[in-house]
Amino acid sequence: MSTQIQEQETETETETEQTSEHQTRRLAEKRERADMRERAEADLSDADEIVRLKIFRYDPEVEGKKDPRFDTFEVPFGKGMTVLDALIYARDHFDSSLTFRHSCRQAICGSDALFVNGRQQLGCKTQLSDLEWPVRIEPLPHAEVVKDLVVDMEHFYDQMEAVEPYFQTNELPKGELEEQRQTRENREKVKMSTRCIWCSACMSSCNIAAGDNKYLGPAAINKAYRFAMDEREGEDMKEHRLNIIEQEHGVWRCQTQFSCTVVCPKDIPLTEHIQELKREAVKSNLKFW
Amino acid sequence: MAEHYSSFEPKGTRWLLQRLTAAFLVVVLAYHFMLLHFINHAADITFAGTQVRMSQLGYFLTMVLFLIAGTFHGVNGVYNALVNQGLDGTQKTVVKWLLIVAGTLLIVQGIRVAVAMTGLF
Amino acid sequence: MSQSYDRGLIEDFGRWQEFSAGMWAWIFHKFTGWVLIGYLFTHIAVLSTATVDGATYTQTLQGLESLLLVRFLEVGLLAVAAFHILNGIRLLFVDLGVGLEAQDKAFYAALITTAAITVASIPTFLMGAF
Repeated sequence: MSTQIQEQETETETETEQTSEHQTRRLAEKRERADMRERAEADLSDADEIVRLKIFRYDPEVEGKKDPRFDTFEVPFGKGMTVLDALIYARDHFDSSLTFRHSCRQAICGSDALFVNGRQQLGCKTQLSDLEWPVRIEPLPHAEVVKDLVVDMEHFYDQMEAVEPYFQTNELPKGELEEQRQTRENREKVKMSTRCIWCSACMSSCNIAAGDNKYLGPAAINKAYRFAMDEREGEDMKEHRLNIIEQEHGVWRCQTQFSCTVVCPKDIPLTEHIQELKREAVKSNLKFW
Repeated sequence: MAEHYSSFEPKGTRWLLQRLTAAFLVVVLAYHFMLLHFINHAADITFAGTQVRMSQLGYFLTMVLFLIAGTFHGVNGVYNALVNQGLDGTQKTVVKWLLIVAGTLLIVQGIRVAVAMTGLF
Repeated sequence: MSQSYDRGLIEDFGRWQEFSAGMWAWIFHKFTGWVLIGYLFTHIAVLSTATVDGATYTQTLQGLESLLLVRFLEVGLLAVAAFHILNGIRLLFVDLGVGLEAQDKAFYAALITTAAITVASIPTFLMGAF
């Protein structure tokens, strides 16, 4: 909303002016918040339906918020409202300290994977009408919570980097200006695997990744699949990629629980891809005998 | 680089062996249960009956193979389960060798038993 | 970001109601696997009486079989083995990449079949135990 406007003031002011400036800003913000609350009350009394959210709260930097707890918010429900819409409403109208990641709101940036009613889902892609109410919203399991619904993604990104998630090839086309073309069949083969948005829902759902911190995890293995199966990378590169994923903490740790496949918001057949890589790795090893 | 290189890739090989033994065990375990609980009731088992069965070479070999496959499948399964839980470092090496020793002892003892059951030695 | 909160393992078994079919299949397969390998060691130990002499072997086995508890344990063992076999077949198909979209149904089928086999075999197993 418009709480940011006051910050655009120029900074070349004397101290006294700054204080008063600061005070006016605070008062304005306070008024704004009061307005929002009033509006929220009006919204709530007008609404046909009210959805109750139980949101996980935790803030290590504020005394009294260090113990994790659940806060309940009541938000007016409108047709087509998603979990993310409800979270934004709650933050803007009731508690501006409520923290969660979001960006594109259309399931492409991968920032708002949350644990909603006991399942990893994208907040922006999950309709409130599809859920049981009250809706329980928690940060992703098996990751450390930084604040409220925000988890530390560092480990996930490390695993993604480990599989070299970018196109590499030793087989360049002859002509300098020639395009590196892919067959339609090959494109179809890797199509689903290219859809990953790095949201980490799969990693969070994986029971093995939870126990074995070195396990690459479904997202990284799927990324490796996307390039290992891309014929343009050539045989050398494929072997290199198989070498990475057939490490002890690579594909072999997958126990085919299908948890990742069940939660993937982009419907990537993750287990199928991991299984195919296992077979590829075995086949390429058998060739040497 | 003093890295040990071998075309025999141990991780993938164990995965494959686990599947191959599984396929064998599915058939033999079902057969074993049928034979010793439904065709011959467990309560009626005597040494004489066991001896008759074990004296047939095909049956004897099947049972020994059953023992070896079962032990590998089980012990390897236990090891995998522990690695999945994050077993690592020295502990992992210790557990690995303990399991190898336990598995080997089981196979050796099992074969001794199988030989004794033939009553030939 | 000075600190972060590790919720530990509460989200694992505390949330069993939210586990999916594949997860249950894994838990049961693991559990039955532990039972079976444990049994294999015991089994060989009991059969080792054959290395003493035939009479001891016969006596030990028939002595054990006369215990009602052993008969019930055997029914349990059958259930465990049947599930491990049936779910094992399901897993072999999963490894071959066949029928992955039906893996959850295959798990339910394995459960039902196991139950049917177990119930049907109770008379055979308890015969002459009373």
